[in-house]
Amino acid sequence: MTPWTNIPQFLSSGITMGAIYALVGLGFVTISRASQIINFTQGEFVMLGGVITFSLLKGGLPYPLAILISIVFVIIIGFLLQVLVIHPLRKTSVLILIMATLGASLFLSSTSGLVFGTLPKALPPFSGEQPLQILGVLLSPQSIWVLGVTFLLLIALYLLSHRTLLGKAMEASSTDPLGADLSGISRNFMVFLAFGVSAGIGAIAGIFVAPIFYTSYNVGTLLGLKGFIAAVLGGWGKNSGAILGGFALGIIESLSVAFIPSGYKDAIAFVVLLLILYLRPKGILGSPFIDSRRW
Amino acid sequence: MVEETKKEFRRRDLFYLWPMWLLSIILPDPLPHRKKEFKKRDLCYLAALLLFPLVWSDPHLHHLMVLAGINAILALGLSLFLGYAGQISLGHAAFFGIGAYSTAILTTRYAFPSFVAFGASAVAAAIMAYFIGKPILKLKGYFLAVATLGFGEIFLVIVREMRSLTNGVIGIFGIPWFTFAGFSFDTYLKQYYLIWGVLAGLLLFSKNLVRSKMGRAFLAVAASEDAAASIGICVAQIKLGVFVLGAAFSGFAGSLFASIMSTASPDAFGLNLSVLVVMMVILGGMGNLYGPIAGAIFLTWLTDMLGRFQEYSLPIYGVILILLLIFFPDGMGTRLGMRFVYLISYWPKKKRRDEGRL
Repeated sequence: MTPWTNIPQFLSSGITMGAIYALVGLGFVTISRASQIINFTQGEFVMLGGVITFSLLKGGLPYPLAILISIVFVIIIGFLLQVLVIHPLRKTSVLILIMATLGASLFLSSTSGLVFGTLPKALPPFSGEQPLQILGVLLSPQSIWVLGVTFLLLIALYLLSHRTLLGKAMEASSTDPLGADLSGISRNFMVFLAFGVSAGIGAIAGIFVAPIFYTSYNVGTLLGLKGFIAAVLGGWGKNSGAILGGFALGIIESLSVAFIPSGYKDAIAFVVLLLILYLRPKGILGSPFIDSRRW
Repeated sequence: MVEETKKEFRRRDLFYLWPMWLLSIILPDPLPHRKKEFKKRDLCYLAALLLFPLVWSDPHLHHLMVLAGINAILALGLSLFLGYAGQISLGHAAFFGIGAYSTAILTTRYAFPSFVAFGASAVAAAIMAYFIGKPILKLKGYFLAVATLGFGEIFLVIVREMRSLTNGVIGIFGIPWFTFAGFSFDTYLKQYYLIWGVLAGLLLFSKNLVRSKMGRAFLAVAASEDAAASIGICVAQIKLGVFVLGAAFSGFAGSLFASIMSTASPDAFGLNLSVLVVMMVILGGMGNLYGPIAGAIFLTWLTDMLGRFQEYSLPIYGVILILLLIFFPDGMGTRLGMRFVYLISYWPKKKRRDEGRL
């Protein structure tokens, strides 16, 4: 069997995986649009979303209620993270912020391991397990849920940032802090809101993904990093960039399985990162931040 | 906007008082303008270093100090890159791993003498750093941090997958003790003197380096790359040089680690180690060579002590990390020293302020 015969199947799983990376990337972009902070805790939000929903389901709650409660819970964690960690450090250097979010990520993942147990968990699929056959490719219904929610969130974020005053205020507080201050925007509050939104996106991603891939207390870090890579690949600071980069990364990763040993799969994303940072740091779609900031 | 008056006395300074007094004995002088060329202090440190294991003869403590010394070598190398040249690296554990694996492979497979492997490890790490650093050092800030982090992850994946060379996730066992001219470093005490001897040598080298033309260039690059370029410093070359140097230090540390633990397995070289080393440099204070060593001793002791809490150790470690960053973002020595100075100068100032003269 040549690797080519499986290409359509790999493509479909790559698109599913890509949707997840896109959702994680959207979380990064939401925060960076409001504050130019890169929050390495993003992956832990994804992990927490899945793990908390699993525990609530086990506790006997109905599925929709469990999803709702866990999203609210993760959003509260996001708020707490901003208040307890990011806010006291808002005037320090980039390095300190990186270390603090990495520390918070370590805390969240290990605490989740303690509280919810370290075994891998899988949620039941939302709508049956009967795989759909589209153009000769097997696609699980959950993948369609994931794609749908990605699309909906993209639209919601577009509306938030382009059609509401709040979204514009968020973006202003990142692109022109002084101007934002002068026009009476509370930048701290905007960052606070951005953390809530991004935690919510992370939680939704985690919940929709958990029926397809097992979730566990330690998946967050790697997932977060890959989401970040997706956002850089598509164009740092753009919602559409995060989505495009996510799908591109997912497809590259799952196609790579056809040609190289599967153990190297995790390295592919980082190779992509190094290449894109070297060859075209703005990403595929170009980035609004990178030209102006001279990084 | 209300200007934040940093120099004001705060009530919590009272709580800093007694640990500050303790730490002011241990930690180096944080105020750079008071730095003297020599070095009565250095002699005191050296004497303390030599006498320490003889006074406390607890083998666990000796082993801890050996690990602290290895971490200190790592942190010293990173401090040149992070503290002096102002660049962020979250991939230092990879160079540490390259050093350890070079030693492991050379000594167990090809039966090289360990001091040859010691040198070769540093060279291997430096060569790797050269080829990695050349493309990615043009990045800054977050993106440099993530790129180096990505390099660390790629290194881990390669180590896990190249089973024929590195024995996969199990790792390589039975690396011989460090031996030099027939003298084997096989007890904790001997290892202690070996590690801290190497560290003292590297420290001396670094001290001279940062006072040389190249060392001044590091500081210039950290302050402003444009300004540095305008006075004829080749920024890219300086950054690459200090990156390679830091990697060579890590290679030394990795080699010593492999021969002392006599194993090399991928778990030891993950992101957690990189984070720990960066923390050592931050807590020790940027732009200070004794700081990273103090930070290494402190954090090695802390992680060892947290080991007692077993499964609770990681959450506690995370919280302590964040608290340390919030309260000492520019180094424990610096912050404590500064506070101390403000504190003792507070009362006369307050008197004058009350009289309306300040």
